[in-house]
Amino acid sequence: MAAADSPSAALRRRDLCSRGIRLAGKMRSDVVDLLDTYVERQGLDASASVAAVEGVPAAAVERWDEQTGTQRLLENLAAYRAFRVLLSQMLEEHREQLGEADATLGRALASVLLQVSAFAYHLEELLRLESRGPPSEEGAPPPPAPHLGLFERKLRGLGVLRELAQWAVRSARDLRQLTKPSPGSGSVPSRAESP
Amino acid sequence: MFSGWNWVAHGLYLLLNFCSLEVSGGLVQSCGHIIPESPVLALGSNFTALCILNESCLDFGNIYANQIIWKIKNRVVPKEQYREINRTVSSVTFNDTSSLATPLTCNILADGQIEQNIYGIAVTIGLPPEKPKNLSCIVHQVLKLTYPMTCTWNPGRHTFLDTHFRLKYRWPQENFPDCIPKDVNNSCTIPDVQFFVNLEVWVEAANALGKAESDPLVLDPIEIVKPLPPHNLSVNSGILPTVLKLAWENRISGALMKLKFNIRYRTIGDTNWMQVPPEDTASPRTSFSVQGLRPYTEYVFSIRCMKEDGVGYWSDWSEEKTGVTTEDKPSKGPPIWRIIDASRSPAFWTVHLMWKALEPFEANGIILQYEVTVRAKSSLSSPPEKYDVNTTNLTLKLPNGTYEVTLIARNRVGASPPSVLLIPATNSKAPVKNVRTLPKDGKLWVGWTAPNSYVLKYVIEWCLVSNSSDCIIEWQNEPGNVQGTYLKGDIKPFKCYLITVYSLYADGQGSGQSVKAYLQQDRPSKGPTVQTKKVGKAEAVLTWNHLTVDEQNGFIRSYTIFYKTVDGNETAVTVDPSKTEYTLSSLTSDTLYTVRMMAYTDEGGRSGPDFTFTTQKFGKGEIEAIVVPVCLAFLLIVLLGVLFCFNKRDLIKKHIWPIVPDPSKSNIAQWSPQVPAKHNFSSKDQMYPEGSFTDVSVVEIEADDKKSFSEQDLKPFDLLKKEKSTSEGHSSGIGGSSCMSSPRQSVSDSDEGETTQNTSSTVQYSTVVLNGYRDQTPVQVFSRSESTQPLLDSEERSEDHSGGADGTSQRQQYFKQNGGQDETNTDRPCFERTKQITPTNEGDLVGFAQLQISGQSSQLLGLGLQKNTQEAALPDVLQTSIEGQTVRPETVEGNPPSVDEMPKSYLPQTVRQGGYMPQ
Repeated sequence: MAAADSPSAALRRRDLCSRGIRLAGKMRSDVVDLLDTYVERQGLDASASVAAVEGVPAAAVERWDEQTGTQRLLENLAAYRAFRVLLSQMLEEHREQLGEADATLGRALASVLLQVSAFAYHLEELLRLESRGPPSEEGAPPPPAPHLGLFERKLRGLGVLRELAQWAVRSARDLRQLTKPSPGSGSVPSRAESP
Repeated sequence: MFSGWNWVAHGLYLLLNFCSLEVSGGLVQSCGHIIPESPVLALGSNFTALCILNESCLDFGNIYANQIIWKIKNRVVPKEQYREINRTVSSVTFNDTSSLATPLTCNILADGQIEQNIYGIAVTIGLPPEKPKNLSCIVHQVLKLTYPMTCTWNPGRHTFLDTHFRLKYRWPQENFPDCIPKDVNNSCTIPDVQFFVNLEVWVEAANALGKAESDPLVLDPIEIVKPLPPHNLSVNSGILPTVLKLAWENRISGALMKLKFNIRYRTIGDTNWMQVPPEDTASPRTSFSVQGLRPYTEYVFSIRCMKEDGVGYWSDWSEEKTGVTTEDKPSKGPPIWRIIDASRSPAFWTVHLMWKALEPFEANGIILQYEVTVRAKSSLSSPPEKYDVNTTNLTLKLPNGTYEVTLIARNRVGASPPSVLLIPATNSKAPVKNVRTLPKDGKLWVGWTAPNSYVLKYVIEWCLVSNSSDCIIEWQNEPGNVQGTYLKGDIKPFKCYLITVYSLYADGQGSGQSVKAYLQQDRPSKGPTVQTKKVGKAEAVLTWNHLTVDEQNGFIRSYTIFYKTVDGNETAVTVDPSKTEYTLSSLTSDTLYTVRMMAYTDEGGRSGPDFTFTTQKFGKGEIEAIVVPVCLAFLLIVLLGVLFCFNKRDLIKKHIWPIVPDPSKSNIAQWSPQVPAKHNFSSKDQMYPEGSFTDVSVVEIEADDKKSFSEQDLKPFDLLKKEKSTSEGHSSGIGGSSCMSSPRQSVSDSDEGETTQNTSSTVQYSTVVLNGYRDQTPVQVFSRSESTQPLLDSEERSEDHSGGADGTSQRQQYFKQNGGQDETNTDRPCFERTKQITPTNEGDLVGFAQLQISGQSSQLLGLGLQKNTQEAALPDVLQTSIEGQTVRPETVEGNPPSVDEMPKSYLPQTVRQGGYMPQ
């Protein structure tokens, strides 16, 4: 907590939130673009409905505004760690499937994967500033890759990207919520300031 | 001893053979090796190498460490650096590796003093890498989603070794593969970077001698982005003529960064950009309306962007796009001026109105028409006259007077404000003063002193003065508050411009004040051609023509005349440029001078052609001063001579021109009893037919040989006779006797006869003695004179006595001598003159018969003389032919002299006509 009390910690937190918001925005923008590319390259229908991806917390949540900052950060971190694993699997599957033939999609997937990792880093840093630190990843082992067919993998990839796009929106809202000084919101600063 | 050396050499030979066999057998086994093997050493460090001999070699060839010689290339390392560690190991130490080189060899000096290489190593010397400095990175946006990051650094000093650089970067929780530079050692580009996460970047340099890392650079790549410029820029004209609307597309996502912009613009043809105030475009946008533009003007726009907060880099400028604002009314009336030609008619002016087309920024569109209104101020009753003109000039013929001219330019949108020009009847207002010019910055500045009264504006007229073209007037307006301006036109250097400044008032105009000026002067293109107008003994008047204005190239400041003689120094005289004539003085007479002339402007001079002239030998009046006195002196001498001769005429006549008595007037005729008195002679006409003439022949007889003439003596006569034969027979030959004397004895004056005899004894003359002389009876006596020359004595004497004969005009004594070819010419006038006199003296005519005497018979002379004497008495014409020669008697007219006038002696007389040649 000592770090959170210092002005530099506050600045650091604000900076992390600010850049996290922008990163989420960029991530969403890129994921939207990637979705178009992915649908096109994988020969999918953009309007195809996809079932919820296993292992990824749903972005939609009830009583969102009642969540505390830490809770928000933890949910976000869990989601992005899951996305990181899923995207890595997708990238690996893409490389296995197409090799270097479709470098554009591969680069876009890698870029989104990096952004997911970067955002997870932001969340971890914010949680460190919360003086509790991020939970270890060993506690939440990545779900094993299911044995799916090719089409199913494509649909699953589509579901991952759609969910990621929704999470990008939610994450931006969560971080904005964290930057608000309102004590009722359960923001980190208010809690940090409490004894 | 010899056998011992031989044994050593043989042993060494065997050793070498053994070693070579080892090598040739594929097993490389040397007698030793060096530690370390191929070291890489830092420059300047110390280094120790060991050479270790194999035990086998020791036993076989008696080779020990104390025999080792270290060499660098072929240079032996000083033995002070050696150290024998044991019998098989020798070391060498270098305190500074800079003295090392490759290879470093270990050699053995065998007993036979033969040096054998044992082993060698390659030494590499270099430097460890320095810490890379000045690491900086920039993210270039190359595509919409591609952001490579390029980092550059200073690699440091040259290491002389193969040094590898690596750009390392990582997130706190994630490492990325290193960026390895290709072909360079100071930059590397990371293909794609992620934003909003701090990235730690550093450079690692490594070589065989070590490794160094730069200071890490921690940054969010979003802060170092140089975005792509906006694209698809479009320019559209708005509703207002001063507004253009720009629109564009940004190529960087708004989610990535918010942008701010710079917009620049310029008019077509202008190179200077103007910029929209940055604060107006400091927020994200994709369009902007640029205001404050000029109507109907084409603009060029360009735009760039960067991160809104100013962190990062500006993008490049976008492609340029143009747009044109819409038209507006002309903002001002065209400048107008006039040229008045009053020379054609005293009562009317020819007014050339001219105006300048509006500048584009004033016209605000396409000028469709000009409207000119001319209003006579003097007669208010007359309505103004309007003219619609499409050109920029109008010529009107107007009665003298004051006029107000109004001009309006009109385009599609509307009309301009009117321009008004007052044309007064006379330019009676105060003019400007002190008009002056000054070339400055390649332009010609004109200045003037303003009049005291308020001036509405000034008009500056100028034209190029040239011989080859007319003065085409250009002009410009200047506001009334200035006193100088640059001429707005194509002012050429080396050309003369006539500049006139007019002051214009609200109610009149001042007269123009002019000045000539050059933008830039040069030397004249040619020099004056000098000539002489007049050349004297010591001076010469030179004349020349002024250079034409096209030849001057500037203001002629002076002329310089250079003149010199052929071998003399050149003399220069400076002459005022207004002169066209100059007198060179103090010249040397009768000398060739070369003269040339230079015309000078401010920039220098140029010489004209040489001209040569020669001064006169005599000055003006000198010849007169010499000739006139000489002539006067000559005239005086002549006059004196004449006077002298006049005074001494008698003496002269006596000596030069003795009087030859006229035989026809001889008293002998009277004396002869058969001859009637002289007044009984018939007239010439009666005696001789016209055209006949009686020649008189004179017989010269040697006094010493009176009786007989030798043939020699007669030769001259023969010659004369021959000459006579070629003539027409009119003249008598010398030597012939033509006396009218009868054979009777002549009576001579005794006194005269004595005188002649005293003076000469060679020539005898017949002497006619006038008996009437000295109060004697006027009986003509013809006697042969025994006297020889001088005749002058006789003549002088006779002249003395017959002076009255000269004064008697009626009397003509005609003594014809053989004059050669002149005879025919001289005879006739005499003859004619004689004829005129004839009527009054017919009775005095005496005919003479001329006797041509052949030189062959001198004796016939006497006979001839007698015969002739007889025949002479005959009144008729007598023609006698002797030896084929025709002797024609000729008549001589004349008054028979009186007794007193008759000459005493028979001497030649002066005959005014026909000439006389003394014998």
